[in-house]
Amino acid sequence: MTMTLASMTRPGDEPLPKRPASMQRFFRETWLLIVRGLQTIPRVPQRLSDVTIQPLVFTLLFLYVFGSAIHIKGMSYQNYLLPGLLGQSLAFGVIGAGVATATDFNTGVIDRFRSLPVTRLSVISSQVIGQILEQILGIVIVAGMGLALGWRPHMSPFGFGEFLLLMLLGLSAFTWFGVLLGMIVKSSDAMQGIGFAIVFPLSFLAGTFVPIAGMKLVPRTIGDWDPLSALVASVRHVTQGTNTSGSWQLTHPVVSMIFWCVLIIAVCVPLALRRFMNAN
Amino acid sequence: MAMTNDAINSDELVVVATGLTKHFADFVAVDNFNLEVKAGTVVSLLGPNGAGKTTIVRMLATLSEPTSGSATVCGYDVVRDADAVRGVVSLTGQFAALEDNLTAEENLLLMARLRGYSKRTATRIVEGLIDRFDIGEFRDKLVKSVSGGQRRRVDLAASLVVQPKVLMLDEPTTGLDPRSRQVVWSTIRELVQGGVTLFLTTQYLEEADALADHIVLIDHGRAVAAGTPNELKSQIGDQRVDIVGIDANGVGLIVEALSSNFQLVIDHNRRTVSVPAPHDLADLVAVTGALARVSAHVDEIALRRPTLDDAFLALTGQASEPYQQDQSIAEVTP
Ligand SMILES: Nc1ncnc2c1ncn2[C@@H]1O[C@H](COP(=O)(O)OP(=O)(O)O)[C@@H](O)[C@H]1O
Ligand SMILES: [Mg+2]
Repeated sequence: MTMTLASMTRPGDEPLPKRPASMQRFFRETWLLIVRGLQTIPRVPQRLSDVTIQPLVFTLLFLYVFGSAIHIKGMSYQNYLLPGLLGQSLAFGVIGAGVATATDFNTGVIDRFRSLPVTRLSVISSQVIGQILEQILGIVIVAGMGLALGWRPHMSPFGFGEFLLLMLLGLSAFTWFGVLLGMIVKSSDAMQGIGFAIVFPLSFLAGTFVPIAGMKLVPRTIGDWDPLSALVASVRHVTQGTNTSGSWQLTHPVVSMIFWCVLIIAVCVPLALRRFMNAN
Repeated sequence: MAMTNDAINSDELVVVATGLTKHFADFVAVDNFNLEVKAGTVVSLLGPNGAGKTTIVRMLATLSEPTSGSATVCGYDVVRDADAVRGVVSLTGQFAALEDNLTAEENLLLMARLRGYSKRTATRIVEGLIDRFDIGEFRDKLVKSVSGGQRRRVDLAASLVVQPKVLMLDEPTTGLDPRSRQVVWSTIRELVQGGVTLFLTTQYLEEADALADHIVLIDHGRAVAAGTPNELKSQIGDQRVDIVGIDANGVGLIVEALSSNFQLVIDHNRRTVSVPAPHDLADLVAVTGALARVSAHVDEIALRRPTLDDAFLALTGQASEPYQQDQSIAEVTP
């Protein structure tokens, strides 16, 4: 290394900038950390494909492979499937957020941020917001693909607003859930495992691809009470005006979805914050 | 050789730990640890893997709360004034904590921006760091694809976006090849000359000796010895002569030939007899002479620097046992 004392630009030479009010710092730091997360997406092929190619493939696959065999009374399969996929993508946020969080905690990069005089809340907020933005990218791709392939939602402007709010609520809930799981599990492989073993089957039983009412007893019972069913039924209700038959939560999907999401947020946010703030 | 700093002639205590203790459930990782670090000095925590070094560093850097006891950095309490402590400490963790999927330059920029600098000032600081740590060659490479030594350099640079009052380095050279280790050492020396107070952990006696003014030997979460490198070395012995016997009888003969004149450490499993050699060559000659007089046969004979194991043996009377269960416990003859 070519270092002489004379040639050294001492970092101490730059005066530390004044510390702005804590609110302002919080927003600035959160923004910087969100950008850091988004910057890395195109550099990790796995993550890039999770939010782009995978939703594309899923949409195409189900539409053309299963779509030819599944007939839903009174509506095109596009109009049945797309809301299902959108609901499912909310649930998949758990896996994405969990894997990203577990990875960050493992590499020690979170510890580095925590050792800086940076508001700790901004570290975890950026994690959550960054993940939500990443999921939105995937959702927009699915929706765009669906529209191109014949999905025709029926929404008033008010309904569209309701749809956006519900999606955002679902994203927040499941992302916080994922962040908490990622901190507990601490291994991205284990997170992937949980995703495949739990979220994947639950999302298939949720009436995403075929109506729950037509399933056999065991899957139907699970589907009736699967929280993800409420998401799917709710999105379907808001985008197509379709009513789902079955358990109470399926006949009152929007209320149920709000209930599940608020419950998840009420449980996960305090736990995640406590785990994050209390150094261990 | 210890680095001392004349520019800063202060008795100000920068780090003070009092009865610092950390339990993980029932397990006591750090037990009643006390420490004082004076401004402008280099203190090294020396101990084997699992001794509790990282746990201590994490408590001092506010990443982990002590179970009991307390610590202050620049007068700020690590629990009550954690945010103020973070403002004066820079930590380089044991495993280079960088964003793998950002380039070296992007990582440094992020660190500078997070410290509150504008884009322009941050860019200027980063240019300075890139020069100073010789990062130019791989500044645009993703951190995940650079070598271990290069990664360490970026890691160190990231800790120096702002000149910290205390720099904490957790095993800065573990896993590095000898050349990279030299580079890190010389960087550390420059920093110390620049007046930074350094708290460093290591598993290498040689490293603590080369860099520190004061060494604390730690095992099982407890400080077992402390002193300047010279104080410790006068107890450990500068160098040692190791003699490997051909078989058990051979070892017996070697012990017989040497035990009257030397303090022996005998490891029967490895058929090795070890002798302190404060006068290096002269001692080597004395040992070979004594062996030749009884016509002992040896497999191998070598002059070597003391290791961490020797230090534990000499300073605590016992080996740092659980970490070397594969070896026999050496016995010390009077
Ligand atoms: N989060 C943790 N939970 C449980 N045990 C831990 C945790 N962190 C460290 N330990 C244990 O504490 C001891 C000291 O660990 P550490 O401080 O990492 O040692 P060193 O850095 O000296 O190698 C080890 O036995 C380790 O297994
Ligand atoms: Mg360690």
